[in-house]
Amino acid sequence: MKTFALPDLGEGLQEAEIVSWHVAEGDHVVADQPLLAVETEKAVVEIPSPQAGHIGKLLAKVGEHVKVGAPVLEFEEGAHAESGTVVGQLAEARAAPTAAPRAAASFAPSAPTVRATPAVRARARELGVDLSSVTPSGPGNSITLADVQAAASHLGAKVPETLRGARRTMAANMARAWREVAHATVQDDADIEAWSPDEDVTGRLVRALIAGCKAEPALNASFDAGSLSLRENPTINLGLAIDSPDGLFVPVLRDVARATPQEWRRQIDAIKRGVKERSLAPADLRGATITLSNFGLIAGRHASLIVMPPQVAILGVGRTVAQAVQSGNGIALHRMLPVSLTFDHRAVTGGMAARFLRAVITDLETAG
Amino acid sequence: MSELNLVQAVNAALKRAMSEDADVLVLGEDVGIDGGVFRATEGLFQQFGEQRVLDTPLAEASIAGVSIGLAAQGFRPVAEIQFTGFAYTCIDQILNHASRLRSRTRGRLTCPMVLRSPAGGGIKAVEHHSESPEAMFAHIPGIKVVMPSSPARAYGLLLSAIRDPDPVVFLEPTRLYHAARGEVADNGAGLPLGRCVTLRPGRDVTIVSWGAMIKGTLDAADQLAADNIEAEVLDIATLKPLDSATIFDSVGRTGRLVIVHEAPMSCGIGAEIAARVAGRAITSLLAPIERVTGYDTMMPYLRTEAYYMPNTAAVVAAARRTMAYT
Amino acid sequence: MASVQGHNSINRVLDIDGKLVGTMPEFARNPDELLKLYRALVLTRTFDTKAVALQRTGRLGTYASSLGQEAVSVGAAAAMQPDDVFLPSFREHGGQLWRGVTLKELFLYWGGDERGNDFAGPRGDFPNCVPVGSHPPHAVGVALAFRLRGEPRASVCVIGDGATSKGDFAEALNMAGVWQVPAVFLINSNAWAISVPRAKQSAAKTLAQKAVAAGIPGEQVDGNDVIAVRAVMERALAQARQGHGPSLIEAVTYRLCDHTTSDDASRYRDDAEVSRHWPAEPLVRLRNLLTAAGHWDKDKEEALLHKCSNAVEQAAQEYLATPPQPVAANFDYTYAETPAELAEQRETAIALAQGAA
Repeated sequence: MKTFALPDLGEGLQEAEIVSWHVAEGDHVVADQPLLAVETEKAVVEIPSPQAGHIGKLLAKVGEHVKVGAPVLEFEEGAHAESGTVVGQLAEARAAPTAAPRAAASFAPSAPTVRATPAVRARARELGVDLSSVTPSGPGNSITLADVQAAASHLGAKVPETLRGARRTMAANMARAWREVAHATVQDDADIEAWSPDEDVTGRLVRALIAGCKAEPALNASFDAGSLSLRENPTINLGLAIDSPDGLFVPVLRDVARATPQEWRRQIDAIKRGVKERSLAPADLRGATITLSNFGLIAGRHASLIVMPPQVAILGVGRTVAQAVQSGNGIALHRMLPVSLTFDHRAVTGGMAARFLRAVITDLETAG
Repeated sequence: MSELNLVQAVNAALKRAMSEDADVLVLGEDVGIDGGVFRATEGLFQQFGEQRVLDTPLAEASIAGVSIGLAAQGFRPVAEIQFTGFAYTCIDQILNHASRLRSRTRGRLTCPMVLRSPAGGGIKAVEHHSESPEAMFAHIPGIKVVMPSSPARAYGLLLSAIRDPDPVVFLEPTRLYHAARGEVADNGAGLPLGRCVTLRPGRDVTIVSWGAMIKGTLDAADQLAADNIEAEVLDIATLKPLDSATIFDSVGRTGRLVIVHEAPMSCGIGAEIAARVAGRAITSLLAPIERVTGYDTMMPYLRTEAYYMPNTAAVVAAARRTMAYT
Repeated sequence: MASVQGHNSINRVLDIDGKLVGTMPEFARNPDELLKLYRALVLTRTFDTKAVALQRTGRLGTYASSLGQEAVSVGAAAAMQPDDVFLPSFREHGGQLWRGVTLKELFLYWGGDERGNDFAGPRGDFPNCVPVGSHPPHAVGVALAFRLRGEPRASVCVIGDGATSKGDFAEALNMAGVWQVPAVFLINSNAWAISVPRAKQSAAKTLAQKAVAAGIPGEQVDGNDVIAVRAVMERALAQARQGHGPSLIEAVTYRLCDHTTSDDASRYRDDAEVSRHWPAEPLVRLRNLLTAAGHWDKDKEEALLHKCSNAVEQAAQEYLATPPQPVAANFDYTYAETPAELAEQRETAIALAQGAA
């Protein structure tokens, strides 16, 4: 470091007070450039630089009294570290710590990539489907939503399925019926011990139902909630509830009261074929005035069923069971057929319903 | 209400703005007596005089720079740059000054200026007159960028741009100046900036576009409808700030996105929209995002210009590709 | 036909020793006006020294010193009215101080805080223009506003010699001339544009003669003679206010400092040349004039140095004690109303900053 001392100020002055510095550490100065102002007795004097150079360090402060010949600053020696820019600051690279070379990681060959968009992946997660097990059918070998749905149903996963066809119709109709009808049910059993072993069950049920309608025609009427009116129907169009893999169908046997049992049989066979072959026309399913449901073919004794407006009644028949009944003064095992009559209490009284049921049971209990 | 084409709608909006606010000025080359080379400023000089409608010397950068000085002093200058091909030289003034005057003075000085310029190809023009620079401007913080697609939207959006307290770059599709006609109610009502417009609702695929490409996009939607594919068409209208919410909502319902722009593909606004959807609506996506754009070349000279521009068939094909993912 | 005065007839009132060589202008006959000018020059230099020192100790950002060029902006500002508009380049600290920008605001700006541009005083003045030579068109726009409104106000745009090579400069002069706007373009012709000397910047004999191409008057003035600078500027501004249009003034001075505190001019510039220019510096000649005329002495000099030093020191302390703005500030001032997409980014930035805290 080359020092610069306060020069002789003349007139025998030995010291001066520093009034202000004109330069800062790090500045580049040239010869004759004023470095600082000092106060003497007579004047404020500028002290020029003797040389060009970079200011290293200022050795005295403003307000200090400095003697002539005392060092006031140091010039930098050697090369001046330059900034390498004209604005801002360029940070220097830090010496990188020498790291031990890493062993090349051995990578297991990756599993083949499953291609599916995020929406499809989200769906697969929801349904618990493992994408790697799904066969892709989309562009670029990608898995589509449909692929995921299909995989889910094969897994037996619960796939929310949009109801279609007869099941959709049933859902809508039942909901409406439930909302509108004032359901009430009366139940009993018919002693059918007198039936022959190969009795035509359906035929007997139809005959009994006709007997009930004759006894209480109000159970075969149509009820209009809007006008609160009950219209008796001249004919009995019997809706026959039939269960199928495609859902519940209720095709209609027209005017059963005037047809012969053989004709019922023929119609019933045609209906069953129609359900199986899905060849029923919409007209075949319309216009029932009363409905019969022989659910006992599968299981169940008594039941409260749903009345489908504008009908006012549905007769449900359960599973035949051998029961101990009073016979004379003793007990005998008789075949008993459970019958349940659900009716719309807006239109039908308990008395009507009970009388209808008594007529049905009376007819069922005859021998043939 | 009257039926106007797009340049007439621009003219009507300028007239309305200048009538309502004495601080609105128009400046640019040939905007005065000549009424602008596209007649966008027709009649303004005659109606408002040379103190409000100024013909400038040929110096685009200074048209923008002078506008900045005027705006800082409280005027609302609407500068016309004859073609966006000449607007690049304005980017320095817009980016280095207009866009940041408010921020760097902490609101002491502001810059409510509009820079409007015809953009896009399809007018069989000589080179440099068919540029689509919207992405370059949209990358600048502190400004807004608008591109209308119809006369009514040109009218309403330009009024809002002039009334906006910040700089707005207003790009007018040259191709639509005469070709787009529609009912325009000259009632001074502005359309809000920063909002997409749903031009056609649909359930199967969202197609977004802006400017001159909207017509072809709507035509594509009609063609798709014949095959029972219902496309939802959004006009982005304001390219900055971008109305992400409307786009996310649409893609949330359709699961498929096609973006159509005339500008070259790389780093176009389609990339920005795709990135936002991939960032925020990715779980809605059933199919990859499609971009139907210009190529990463210059717009070819007019003899082969047609093949460069995205057309209806390309948009239909892109939409169909997304429908393959069902 | 625009006229240009060249080096031979350069406007000058004081020679480098402070002796009268021209006609003393009207304002200068009042010693108080000269004292005001001198005090302003000293304050500027005191501020300048402190700013450099702060930068060297890491407490200010890169700073562009005005060493040796103080008379250009002080003389110009002294000729202006308060409701004129000043458009500096980035070396007009003295002019900004004269017009009411505070020392603290200057420290804030150079310390990297936008609040330094929110001048409490001259509300219409432009902040520094860092993209060299891109602000002359702004000056034209401002002056055009005055002309359109019929106001007797003017804009003053200061550019460096390097900036006169820019297209924006030529465009602005041209437009100013066509429209006859009340703008005065003042060149701080300090002979260096970073490392490019004047001879390599333009083949024109003077920069003032670039006015000829624009059809406006141009003249040179000794940029180190604050009296002459003020006089020339007063005349140019009067012309502008009276509707006689713009003019170009080339204030010939010398850059005694590096381009910025990060620049080291010794890399490209001969130290001996710089030394030769020190005697012509602006403070000494005016001090000599004032001292010779009996208006100045050692005690006044000392008192002034102390006063300036205290004022600068206090402002520096206030600046250093000012905490930086919150993270949200930059977002809040980007638009008049923050759009939704930017508001989200604002929240992200705030959260990240808090997480880092």
